[in-house]
Amino acid sequence: MLTAKEIIETLRTKFNNHIIKADEKVSNQVFVRVVPDTLVPLIRFLSKTLSPRFLINAGTDLVRQDGKYLVSYIFSFDSDKIFLCIEVAVDAAAPDIDSITPIIAGANWSERETRDLLGINLRNHPDPRRLVLADDWPQGLYPLRRDFPYDYKPPSEPQNKVHLKKPPEGTKVIPIGPFYPVLEEPAYFKLFVDGETVVDCDYRGFYNHRGIEKIGDTKLTYNQICFMAERICGICGFIHSTCYCEAVEQAAGIEVPLRAHYIRTIMLELERIHSHLLWLGIATHIIGFDTLLMQAWRIREPVMWLCEKISGNRKTYGMNLIGGVRRDIPHQMHDKIITVIEKIERETLEVIDAVMGDTSLHVRLKDVGILTEEVGRSICTVGPTARGSGIPIDSRVDHPYAAYDRINFEVAVESGCDIWARTLVRLKETMESIKIVKQCLLEMPDGPIMGEVMEEIPSGREAICCVEAPRGEAVHYVQTGQDNRPYRWRVRAPTYPNLQCIPNIIKGERIADVPIIIGSLDPCYSCTERMAVVDVKTGVEKLYTKEEIIKR
Amino acid sequence: MFISKLKQALICLKAGRVTLPYPYKPSPTPEGFRGKLKVDINKCIGCAGCANVCPPGAIEVIDFDKGWRRIQFHLTRCIYCGRCEEVCPEKAVKLTDEFELSTNTKEDLDLTIEIYMDTCQRCTRCFKPEHPLDKMMVTGFRE
Ligand code: SF4
Ligand code: SF4
Repeated sequence: MLTAKEIIETLRTKFNNHIIKADEKVSNQVFVRVVPDTLVPLIRFLSKTLSPRFLINAGTDLVRQDGKYLVSYIFSFDSDKIFLCIEVAVDAAAPDIDSITPIIAGANWSERETRDLLGINLRNHPDPRRLVLADDWPQGLYPLRRDFPYDYKPPSEPQNKVHLKKPPEGTKVIPIGPFYPVLEEPAYFKLFVDGETVVDCDYRGFYNHRGIEKIGDTKLTYNQICFMAERICGICGFIHSTCYCEAVEQAAGIEVPLRAHYIRTIMLELERIHSHLLWLGIATHIIGFDTLLMQAWRIREPVMWLCEKISGNRKTYGMNLIGGVRRDIPHQMHDKIITVIEKIERETLEVIDAVMGDTSLHVRLKDVGILTEEVGRSICTVGPTARGSGIPIDSRVDHPYAAYDRINFEVAVESGCDIWARTLVRLKETMESIKIVKQCLLEMPDGPIMGEVMEEIPSGREAICCVEAPRGEAVHYVQTGQDNRPYRWRVRAPTYPNLQCIPNIIKGERIADVPIIIGSLDPCYSCTERMAVVDVKTGVEKLYTKEEIIKR
Repeated sequence: MFISKLKQALICLKAGRVTLPYPYKPSPTPEGFRGKLKVDINKCIGCAGCANVCPPGAIEVIDFDKGWRRIQFHLTRCIYCGRCEEVCPEKAVKLTDEFELSTNTKEDLDLTIEIYMDTCQRCTRCFKPEHPLDKMMVTGFRE
C-alpha cells in the first residue's frame, strides 16, 4: 500500500525542482503545487507509474490574492484510500495551460468546463469546442471569475453557436433530444447512422445550468449550501449534501458524532434502494417491459413513505448540516424500518427470480452497449457503469465516509461489460443496501447527533470528499473562505464522467438499442449541469432560432 | 421463458391494485412532516434569525416605518426545510402538515406579519425590547 508520504517522495525524486510545495493537508489528502510547465510531464509520469484515477479538475480565481488562477487536478488512489490534488497557478495575464486530455481521455469535459467558466485557455486540447456555456453566451465573459456578479445577465450573442460534428461520408443523422432523450430531461445526441447501425455520435448538453457553484461561492452560507447541494439531484440529493458536509467537516476538522455518521449511512442506503428500484423500472420501461416498471415502482414506494416518516419529506430529506444531522432515528422507528426493508427484500427477490429467466430481457440486454474495461478506465467511468465492466471501484470502500469504515458489505462487480452486467450490479447492490441498513440499525450507538461546530470555520483550508451515489461516485471539493462561506465549491456528479463514454458504447449498435444503452448508465443530466447562470431555449439543430421560438 | 412469464403474472396478481384513492379520500401525512409554515404573531419578536438562515431567502424583513418591522414569508420560494423553525428563539414558526398549496393567486402563499419594535433613539433602527414587560409597554403587536 502506498502512503501519502511515499507519493510525495516519488514526485519529489523526479520533479523536485518543479514542486513548489507538497503537503498532506487533511489525512490521506495530498496537495502538490507545481509550476505550470511541469504539469503535463508530471501527469504523464503519474499515469505511467502510479496510475491514479482522474476525478475532476477545479479552477479557482485567486486574482485578488496573488494575480493567479489556480487549477487543481484531483486524482484518487483507490486501493490506497488517498486523494492527490495537483495544483498549478497560472498567471491571470496569460491564463494558458497545457491540456492533459491527450494523456487522460476522461479529463476532456472538465478541462473544457474550466476553460468555459474561468477562461483558462487550453493548449493541445483535442476537442476545444464550447461545452458548458450557452450557445449565445458572449465571448470572453467567464461566469466563475470573482469579478462576475452572480446575478448578471449578459446580452445574447447568437453567433457563438456550437457546431456539432458533420456526419461522416455516407451516414445519415438521427437526432435524439434535445427534449426527452430517454429521460425527461434536456440533452441532445446527434447520431450518425449507416442504415440501422450507429457509426458515431456527438453530444450537446448543459441546457439546464443553474449556477449552483457560483451561488455557493458568493451568496449562501455554509449551512445554506447543504440544502442547495441536496437539490443538485432529484433522486440522489442526500449524497450531495453528505458529500459537501463531509468535505467541509474534513477541511475544518469538525468532529461528527458517530450516531450522526450512522444516520447518514442509513439514509444514503435507503436512497440507493429507491434509486436502483426506480432505475429498474425506467430501464425496463425503455425496452417496453412495463410490467416490471409497475412492479418495481410499487415495491419502491414504501421506501419513500419510510423516508417521509424519518425526515419529514419523501425525497429531500433536509437532514444534513455541517457537523451532523438534524433529525434522529429514534428506537421506536427501528422496527418500522426493518419491516419495510424486509418486505422490499422479499419482493425484490421474487421479481429477480421471475425475470432472470426471461429470455426477451436477455436478448435486449446481453451483449448490448459493451463498455470494455480499458475504455471504462480511460474515460474514468464510475459506479455501476464501471463495476459492470469489472472495475472494482466503490468509494464506500476506497474512501470511507460516514460510518462505512465500520460496515461489512460486498462490492458488486460483474465482468459482462454489457447492460445485463450493469443490471446485475444494481440488483446486487440493492440487496447489499438492505443488509447495510439492518447492520446500521443494530450497531448504531446512542449519543448526540450534532457535533461541536466552531463559531467560524477557518479560511484557506481545502478538502475533497467522494460519496458513492447510486449512479456512481460524486466528488465535492471545498476551499474554505471568509464570510462564513466556501471560497470555492466544486461538484462533480457521477453522470459527468459516465456520459462521456456514450460515443464509445453506442458505436456499432443498432438505433433501437440506443435508448436503453443511454438509459443503462442511469444518467442524470440535471446533476451534470450545475454551473454558470444560463437559460437556453435554442434548439441545437438550427430548426428555429430562439426568437422564432419565443414568438410562437 | 414461459415459467418466467407465469411468475411475473403471479406477482402482478398478488400485488393487486395499489393506487391510493387520493384526492377522493384524504391522504394523511406522517408525524414530523414538513409542510406549510404557520407563524405566531404573538410570539415573534422580530429578531430576523429565521431570515438569516433561510436557504432560498424566502423570508423578507423590511423596516418600513419608524419602529415597524414587516416580516414576510414567501411560501412560493420556501423549500420547507424547517430551518426557521429550528432557529426561532421564541418558537414562533411551526411547520404544519398542510401540503395542498396550489392556488391561482400567488399572494395566498405569502405570510406577512408586522410588529412594532422599540426604536433606537440614535439610529432609529428597530431592536428587540429588553424585557417582556417592555414589550407590552410599546404600542403592541399588530397583524
Ligand atoms: S422552511 Fe426553510 S425555506 Fe421555508 S421559510 Fe423556513 S427556512 Fe426558509
Ligand atoms: S419568527 Fe422567530 S426567528 Fe423569525 S423573526 Fe420572529 S422570533 Fe425571530
